[in-house]
Amino acid sequence: MADFLTSTHRAKWIFSTQELAEKYKASNQRAIQALEKYGATLMEVDADGSLSYPEPPMNPKDTADKHSRPKPLNIEEERYMRVFYENKLQEVCNNFHFPHKIQATALIYFKRFYLQWSVMEHHPKNIMLTCIYAACKIEENHVSAEELGKGISQDHQLILNNEMIVYQSLEFDLIVYAPYRSIDGFLNDMEEFCRVKDDQLHLLKALHETARMEVDKIMLTDAQLLFPPGQLALAALRCSNGVHQVIDFDRYLRNILSRQSSAHNVSELIESLNAIDSWVKRYKFPSEKDLKHINRKLKSCWGLGSNDESKKREKKSKHKSKKSSNETQNVLSLTET
Amino acid sequence: MGDGNATNNRGLSSNNKPEWLQQYDLIGKIGEGTYGLVFLARIKSPTANRGKSIAIKKFKQSKDGDGVSPTAIREIMLLREISHENVVKLVNVHINHTDMSLYLAFDYAEHDLYEIIRHHRDKVNHVISQYTVKSLLWQLLNGLNYLHSNWIIHRDLKPSNILVMGEGDEQGVVKIGDFGLARIYQAPLKPLSDNGVVVTIWYRAPELLLGAKHYTSAVDMWAVGCIFAELLTLKPLFQGVEVKGNPNPFQLDQLDKIFKVLGHPTPEKWPTLANLPHWQQDLQHIQGHKYENTGLYNVVHLSPKTPAYDLLSRMLEYDPRKRLTASQALEHEYFRNDPLPGRNALVCQTGEKVNYPTRPVDTSTDFEGTTSLQPPQTVSSGNAVSGTMSGAHGGTMRSVPRQMAVGGMQRMQPQGMPAYNITSQAGMGGGMNPNGIPMQRGVPAQAHQQQLRRKDPGMGTNIYPPQQKSRRL
Repeated sequence: MADFLTSTHRAKWIFSTQELAEKYKASNQRAIQALEKYGATLMEVDADGSLSYPEPPMNPKDTADKHSRPKPLNIEEERYMRVFYENKLQEVCNNFHFPHKIQATALIYFKRFYLQWSVMEHHPKNIMLTCIYAACKIEENHVSAEELGKGISQDHQLILNNEMIVYQSLEFDLIVYAPYRSIDGFLNDMEEFCRVKDDQLHLLKALHETARMEVDKIMLTDAQLLFPPGQLALAALRCSNGVHQVIDFDRYLRNILSRQSSAHNVSELIESLNAIDSWVKRYKFPSEKDLKHINRKLKSCWGLGSNDESKKREKKSKHKSKKSSNETQNVLSLTET
Repeated sequence: MGDGNATNNRGLSSNNKPEWLQQYDLIGKIGEGTYGLVFLARIKSPTANRGKSIAIKKFKQSKDGDGVSPTAIREIMLLREISHENVVKLVNVHINHTDMSLYLAFDYAEHDLYEIIRHHRDKVNHVISQYTVKSLLWQLLNGLNYLHSNWIIHRDLKPSNILVMGEGDEQGVVKIGDFGLARIYQAPLKPLSDNGVVVTIWYRAPELLLGAKHYTSAVDMWAVGCIFAELLTLKPLFQGVEVKGNPNPFQLDQLDKIFKVLGHPTPEKWPTLANLPHWQQDLQHIQGHKYENTGLYNVVHLSPKTPAYDLLSRMLEYDPRKRLTASQALEHEYFRNDPLPGRNALVCQTGEKVNYPTRPVDTSTDFEGTTSLQPPQTVSSGNAVSGTMSGAHGGTMRSVPRQMAVGGMQRMQPQGMPAYNITSQAGMGGGMNPNGIPMQRGVPAQAHQQQLRRKDPGMGTNIYPPQQKSRRL
């Protein structure tokens, strides 16, 4: 694999906590402004790939009436929405029995995409599917959009319509580094480090399995936008070692740092690992009640709040293309599930 | 989009050219192939790079229902991660939203090994100087060593994909081009034939011809060996007749050509030979082709005792595990003897120099690939209605199977027409690279380059650039 040290992943896609917060805030703010200006936020991706905000309200009085105007999602609600669809993404990949790598790549794409956009602007379900489609393409596990769409009863044209904007939002930085391979590497190293005898290999195997499950959890958090994959892997391994007690982990950390003549010292590294752990601990899946509430808000932000509105959109989409009318249907069906 | 260009409707100026295109003067088409077309253009924007030549590779949209061309995407994603003096440089990526096609902008290289070899063979009737051969080979290996140490296999090395820079501060510098088939090999790579890809067989390693299931970096080194011999003799070393058909037919003639020159491979010299499917099955009695004499030194006119011959024969080692690696080759004695390799492969220290012809340009083709019978000034390029590559091209194609330019393209035959500059016709243009993707590392993230527009053409303000300031962070 190309070198992580010279990668775009390292150079451009690992942020500080503050940078991350600013990005989420900026896209949230932009969507709120669109809402104020146009009364709705969902951007339409046309067949030609161009983007547009919805039509402004015909009657200016509509917007003047503050009570009828849809309420935007706040940053926390946006996060819940992403969490929901990140879990869905894992589910879809599992159902298709895709290799782990595809799931990891798709997740990273999804997270990076929503650093640039608000869920109010691009429907996370469509983006999730496009991220899976793109990950399959990039990881040489090509699945046609049609096949993917069929498997989950979704219109595959929505996947294709969003493909270019996904690549663009990822700035074409499509090679990403998930921690799974780092885990394999560290385990090989540990085998030498503690001079494992043959009858102890099962211990390392157990360590490996638990660590992989731990990485699955880490991948769902924002830690992957804050820490390099090697540290994520170490955090998972430390956690797993806490369960299985295979090696003296602190000694191991000191050992790798001494070998790498790294700029880090042990306490810095441990601080990072603690931070990663706390991301996993703080991870929260939205309650059903929350989801219902957010979905309702989101629906109105998308301009699908009242019957009136959705009819208007449907009418408009009719003379545009059949894709858009399908889009409307899918959007509607989402909230029912 | 949205980079302060609020006067344009839909990102188009009045002359209907997409903004990104307006930063270039289109000179003409320089190549054509299965993936699309290659154009030569010059930067005209008021920047330090004004007048700089750029090769623009336009990818066709892939088959219906398949979305964005996977070849284009893979080439972009690899080139985004790598940077080396001997690897072609991707300067920009542009998107034409009308037909979802991608345009890759590269630093333009005036020459390639195919043309250099052809020029010596057909025009000057003289071998390429030792200095030039050695410098070209060293730089090719240097770039390849970089790729291999980054776990990238090129898989389609051949003279037309090895570019050489023309006049300028990088004159005579080799650039490996066309990464459309290149792969990162962290996992075993499936054979190209599985993807239905066809590449020239002349530079294909014997293990692949014998049905090896997976690629290793050794396949690139075989190709380098073939290219080295071709630089010395001006003729392709193993010029087999390709068997057409699907999928991946057995290339008997190509193997026979190799065996004739290198002798018959044996399981003693190549232990894994017996495991290769086509050998095992003894397809078309391949095992029976007995050629005892190895005549490589006769073919390349080198004494077996010379370092050049030693290096060549180690690159053409049958067993991929024994074949020289790029880093080993760079350490070879051949490169430590006089004449030493140099950075400008075309001009040696004594000033001796061959004037290679410039690339022929078909100036009658616009960016859509349609040929215009009118002078290029009136050609409207870019965002026009058709996204098809239906356009005829002016020249006749050469009969030799080859690909070229930024790679993967058939070259235009000379048109006898001067390069045409279309500056006069272009509008003011937008800002630099409004729709493009900034390619330099560390450039702050610029998302939302897509056209953002409101669908209210009657309302006056046509563009809603969301959060311009924050996107400029």
